[in-house]
Amino acid sequence: MMMSENRYSDFTLQELMAVAAAAEIKDGEKVIIGTGLPLLGGLLAQRTHAPNMIAIYESGAIDCKPLVTPFSVADPVLVPGAAMQGGLIDGLGIVHAGDVDVGFLGGAQIDKYGNLNTHVIGDYYSPTVRLPGSGGSNDIGAGCKRTVIMMLHQKQRFPEKVDFVTTPGYFDGAGQREKMGFPGDGPSVVVSTLGILRFHVKTKEMYLESYHPGVTIEQIKLNTGWDLKMAADVKETVRPTPEVIRILREELDPTGIFLGKN
Amino acid sequence: MKIEKVMSAKEAVSKFIDDGMNIAIGSFFHTIAYNITHEIIRQEKKHLTICAPSFNEHADQLIGAGCVDRIVSSYVWMEVFGSLNCFRRAMEKGVPNKIEMEDYTNFAMAARFLAGSLGIPYMPVHSMKGSDMMKYSSWMGENKVRMMKDPFGSGVEHALVPALKPDVGFVHAQRADEEGNVQMWGILGDAPYSVRACQKVIVSVEEIVSRDVIGRDPNRTVLPGYKVVAVVEDPFGSHPKNCQGYYNADRDFIFKYIQESRTEEGWKKFMDEWVYGVSNRADYLKKYIDTFGMKKFQSLKAKDMSSSSVNYGY
Repeated sequence: MMMSENRYSDFTLQELMAVAAAAEIKDGEKVIIGTGLPLLGGLLAQRTHAPNMIAIYESGAIDCKPLVTPFSVADPVLVPGAAMQGGLIDGLGIVHAGDVDVGFLGGAQIDKYGNLNTHVIGDYYSPTVRLPGSGGSNDIGAGCKRTVIMMLHQKQRFPEKVDFVTTPGYFDGAGQREKMGFPGDGPSVVVSTLGILRFHVKTKEMYLESYHPGVTIEQIKLNTGWDLKMAADVKETVRPTPEVIRILREELDPTGIFLGKN
Repeated sequence: MKIEKVMSAKEAVSKFIDDGMNIAIGSFFHTIAYNITHEIIRQEKKHLTICAPSFNEHADQLIGAGCVDRIVSSYVWMEVFGSLNCFRRAMEKGVPNKIEMEDYTNFAMAARFLAGSLGIPYMPVHSMKGSDMMKYSSWMGENKVRMMKDPFGSGVEHALVPALKPDVGFVHAQRADEEGNVQMWGILGDAPYSVRACQKVIVSVEEIVSRDVIGRDPNRTVLPGYKVVAVVEDPFGSHPKNCQGYYNADRDFIFKYIQESRTEEGWKKFMDEWVYGVSNRADYLKKYIDTFGMKKFQSLKAKDMSSSSVNYGY
């Protein structure tokens, strides 16, 4: 995708995902942000269409306006300029109270109903791969009004059932989540490396809304562990504008710690 | 009677941390006492249960050194830096020893400390509900978490997580006085409730200040001194993590540990150099400056972004 007239007309999948994540945030919303791509997505939204977004970090930093991009949810650059600085009980406490609109999540596996695994691949007691655990993921999944999930789209990462449920999505389908009495309503979108997927309003099953430029529907089906349904009007994911790519590269990730060096 | 609490990290660990204890080790990047951690490793403490919501490399080093039997945590990874390799070797291969873990969530851990700090037996939370963390337990069994319907009639069921009250906790902070009244600012992480939940606390600080300095800004105090058994003055005690207003995190050094600890040999070499090969924090700092240069060391120091003071007058 080399285009010489504008060096920002080209974009990587990582950049496309950060832009897609940013698009999920509405101005004025309270958003709890993680690290990596979600962090860039949040900062991008704040810098573009959602200047009144309230950025919250689980480390207890509330309404942050960092001058440089933080590289951890507990980065000291989050503190000066924040409206409030507390600890974990404060940052995740407001999530637990149901005050936060959007939460970003990720994981090693996601299934058809948006249940996430960040604990183990294989058996819990003698794992093939031991992963980090929940962190704030389960808390964010329970408490935020909606969640945006960022995923590497590969067949083993999109199984019909996850090896371990760290953060419940819709369990086995419609009507399950309501029984738990969570403050939050569950996952609203999955931004994967291949496309954008949402959950059917009635069945809560994940379906494909759009495929990224250069990706085919066939490729997405091959990389999904169940028979993935499509939106009636399935289309290509909206391409980011050069200006947005410029902000991402030059202002938000100048050292390439999240997006890699171009 | 005034008890003398000011002592070295070596003395504090040898006096107050015993084999088999349940200890709160600090978490969340900021104000982690690496100096105390390294002293525990040098003194070869064994069979510890370590508790913290979000583990950093200090926990990984304790695991690699064979000090740990059990973990109570919610996140064991180093965010964008990568996995904590000793933790994974222990969990996946039993190297250097098999460890057991009880998995909670960050908020559930914070709630367990909060309950511990308030002297109440449990806390009802929305976290954990419906997840597989409810089904699996390594040693706590039914006492890991239980469900209960709201007795006040909302109809909602909550997960009850038990109070956590470690034998000893340790933390690094910006300052304390000789009595152990501790002041911390910036990201508090699991503090103040984690340290308040402990039976005894070892406090490491950048600076020991007078009681008068503490008294001029008492809202900044996270823990009153009566639970503090030791006050250790160790500048740069949190390196390679940060201490707000004093120094930034040393990303290169964090990457270095994550990279080198990928193999057991690499890990041993790192530890021989930076933990076993030095006798205390001052020695570690001297080694750091000798290895990476004064310029690099100076580059970690925090900018001056002091707040305006407030009027406590009446």
